[in-house]
Amino acid sequence: MSPAIRIEELTKDYAIGFWRRRPYRALDRLTLDIEPGEVYGFLGPNGAGKTTTLKLLMQLIYPTSGRAEILGRPVGDIAMRRRIGYLPENPSFYDYLTAEELLGYFAELFGYKGADRRKRVDTLLERVGIGAERRLQLRKFSKGMIQRVGIAQALLNDPEVIFLDEPMSGLDPLGRRDVRSLILELRDQGRTVFFSSHILADAEALCRRVAVLAGGRLAASGTLTDILAFQVHGWELVMANVSPEVLAKVKPAVRNTTEISPGRYALELSLDQAPDRILADLTAAGATLISLNPMRDTLEDFFMKRVAEMGTGARAPMAGDDHASH
Amino acid sequence: MRAIRSVAVNVFRESVRDRVPYNLVLFAVLLIASSYLIGQLTAGQDVKIIKDLGLAATSVFGLFISIFIGIGLVSKEVERRSIYALLSKPVSRAQFVAGKYAGLVLTLAVNVTVMTVALYIILAYMVWTEPPTIRAGWDAPGTDPRLLKAIFLIFIELMLVTAIALFFSTFSSPILSAALTFGFYVVGHFNADLKNFDRVVDSKAAAYLARGLYHVLPDLSAFDVKTEVVHGLPVTFGYLASTAAYGVAYVTALLLLATFIFSRRDFK
Amino acid sequence: MNRRRDAIVLALAVAAFGVAIALQMTRDRSYPRDERLTEQILYVRSPAALKRMTLEFDAVLADVYWIRAIQHYGGDRLSGPRAASKYLLLYPLLDLTTTLDPYFNIAYRFGAIFLSEAYPGGPGRPDQSVALLRKAIVAMPHKWQYYHDIGFVYYWRLRDYQTAALWFQRAATQPNAPNWLTPLAASMLGRGQDRAAARFLWQQIAKSEEAWLRRSAQRALLQLQALDRIDYLDAVNTRFPPAAGEQYSWPRLIAKRLLPGVPVDPTGTPYEIDPATGRVRVAQESPLFPMPEEPRRLQ
Repeated sequence: MSPAIRIEELTKDYAIGFWRRRPYRALDRLTLDIEPGEVYGFLGPNGAGKTTTLKLLMQLIYPTSGRAEILGRPVGDIAMRRRIGYLPENPSFYDYLTAEELLGYFAELFGYKGADRRKRVDTLLERVGIGAERRLQLRKFSKGMIQRVGIAQALLNDPEVIFLDEPMSGLDPLGRRDVRSLILELRDQGRTVFFSSHILADAEALCRRVAVLAGGRLAASGTLTDILAFQVHGWELVMANVSPEVLAKVKPAVRNTTEISPGRYALELSLDQAPDRILADLTAAGATLISLNPMRDTLEDFFMKRVAEMGTGARAPMAGDDHASH
Repeated sequence: MRAIRSVAVNVFRESVRDRVPYNLVLFAVLLIASSYLIGQLTAGQDVKIIKDLGLAATSVFGLFISIFIGIGLVSKEVERRSIYALLSKPVSRAQFVAGKYAGLVLTLAVNVTVMTVALYIILAYMVWTEPPTIRAGWDAPGTDPRLLKAIFLIFIELMLVTAIALFFSTFSSPILSAALTFGFYVVGHFNADLKNFDRVVDSKAAAYLARGLYHVLPDLSAFDVKTEVVHGLPVTFGYLASTAAYGVAYVTALLLLATFIFSRRDFK
Repeated sequence: MNRRRDAIVLALAVAAFGVAIALQMTRDRSYPRDERLTEQILYVRSPAALKRMTLEFDAVLADVYWIRAIQHYGGDRLSGPRAASKYLLLYPLLDLTTTLDPYFNIAYRFGAIFLSEAYPGGPGRPDQSVALLRKAIVAMPHKWQYYHDIGFVYYWRLRDYQTAALWFQRAATQPNAPNWLTPLAASMLGRGQDRAAARFLWQQIAKSEEAWLRRSAQRALLQLQALDRIDYLDAVNTRFPPAAGEQYSWPRLIAKRLLPGVPVDPTGTPYEIDPATGRVRVAQESPLFPMPEEPRRLQ
């Protein structure tokens, strides 16, 4: 099956400086394929080039080299745009329009007419939870509500592929939960969702495959678990009711101890230590288990390491990498 | 085509919700009304004064609308980043430029119509109240339909100025666009002087340069037939047609150029 | 970026521009705008009002009006039989120019020469010349040229020799005045030598730095030359009148070997001779036409 989104050696240079224009490479030969029907996470720290990639896909900016296709059509294709939806990062629309009018305007551009158009607008406003506010001018909307309007306009045309740039930004936990369930719903409907984020947890909950971007280059891509499995570097054991004596006994055996509150400690164990032993000892001494979690690199730590590795060139391909670039 | 219309209607809607055009139209109407009062002071000449003022006000306020909205047509969308969502829809950059232009022309048309109607109402009132002896002394009838010729050319001129403003708006900031557009407006009105430069300077090269500039720069003074219509002098349809055609061709060139520039821009 | 499509758009833009220019040229040809309502190029009739309106741009606007003055003058000159406007705007334009820029020397001197020139060479308004020059003197009271020019107008156009002499004398008292002004004033009041005085005056003007002044002077000098020649030809005709039944003509004189050939004026155009009276004059087609009125010889 042909990919829903195909990106080949996509590169974007910006000219920096006035006199000697040294190019700044915002995106370096990105190559990715996204299959239809999947929810694909596009991860990376701020400034990694995620938004640049999305803008290249929407042809808001032009590539220095390389190409991209959506649904088999080149990115500039106007007809293809009828089948996709896009939510920009921190979206802003026209403050003098009401939510209703904005969606109506965009629906017109998609080719909806008359009663059909009104129905679509109503459906979407309801879907994102904008009721009475639909008649308010957008200048009166909060950030969260604007985000919801943004999602509505991205889904207006029942798109096959949806591009979301930092869809959770500015949302409170309730809002984020709504967006997550929306994305899952889209997946269940068989649509392709391509979203970018710098929050690992979001990707973890939604995606099967991800790509990780750092400094404009693809650091890794593949299934989530494969990529991050190797990055576990220890365990974190949180115990309560730890008496000072028990603590003193256990301390030399562990890598680090942090007091959370009197009697409650977070103990950091290294990978080669099986946590069961220490857990058993502590439980026997009367402490209670609060939590036991593998300690992973944050995404940022992962990037730092990865970028450093990529810099020196000393890097072996990782299991689970399907399209890593050098 | 439908996309152009949608964009145009949105521009019109924005201009209506932006209270600026309301104020201008109101102001113009007030000005025309006050000119009626001034006219009371100069026996017999009041019709001429009101026609002069009415046409001038229509031109000036139309100019303000053209420039102040024109310069922001594209740059505002880019600056507040609403262009990201818009251009991801099935609308091409060329359609965007055309739609923006059409929307502002629509706004202008509405405003000029309002001002024209107001002017004719006042003139009709004057015709109604002035005795026939004074009316006989007028160069042209009070509610002279030939005023429409001047207004027609004023409108085409405004279309031209709008196109200039839009053109600059595709690549430069609002302030710079305003300055440049206004500059072109002023130069365009002195354009005719360039044509006869060869009679004044000795250098052939300077004369050719001046003549070249005469042709390249917008020839705005040709659109000014206010004095003729106020004095009842003839303005032929041939002149109207050829001058209007010039305006339309120039506008087309500017819009194409604007599209060219806009199509190649990166929206960082 | 679709390079090909962009190139097409750009090419179309250039084509549209070309169409616009072509339309403009066609329109200009069918409806020449030099004949447009004259008031328009003044915009504002009152110089004082204009000066207040122009903010800092007086000098530039003065230049604009100066250019229009020259175009108007040149345009009217070249328009031949169509010259209906009779240089109506020359004085207002020069007045506006010099109000905006009171130090605009050339405008004053241009007005001096051409405002007073008789129709069809100019509007024939020596009064306007003098008015403009008086304004010049208010602005720059020590330029001897302005006093000289006023004297010239009184002498050459108004035939008021007393006043002319007065002005030449006043000119002589200004700093840097040339030393021939006083003798010139004297000769105004003296006997005869009028054509010589005129010739002298024009020779001084012919040394001017301004090309158009030199050209005017050279033309005037040629006219004076023609006058001298006409005097001689008149004398020949008076001395050798035709017999009864004959008419005055050049072939007659040539046959009598009084002349080597048909006499021509300094531009090469043959002189005309009235068959009945024998009066010789410069032909109408000659560039020297119309000839100046001769200053009357003083008693």
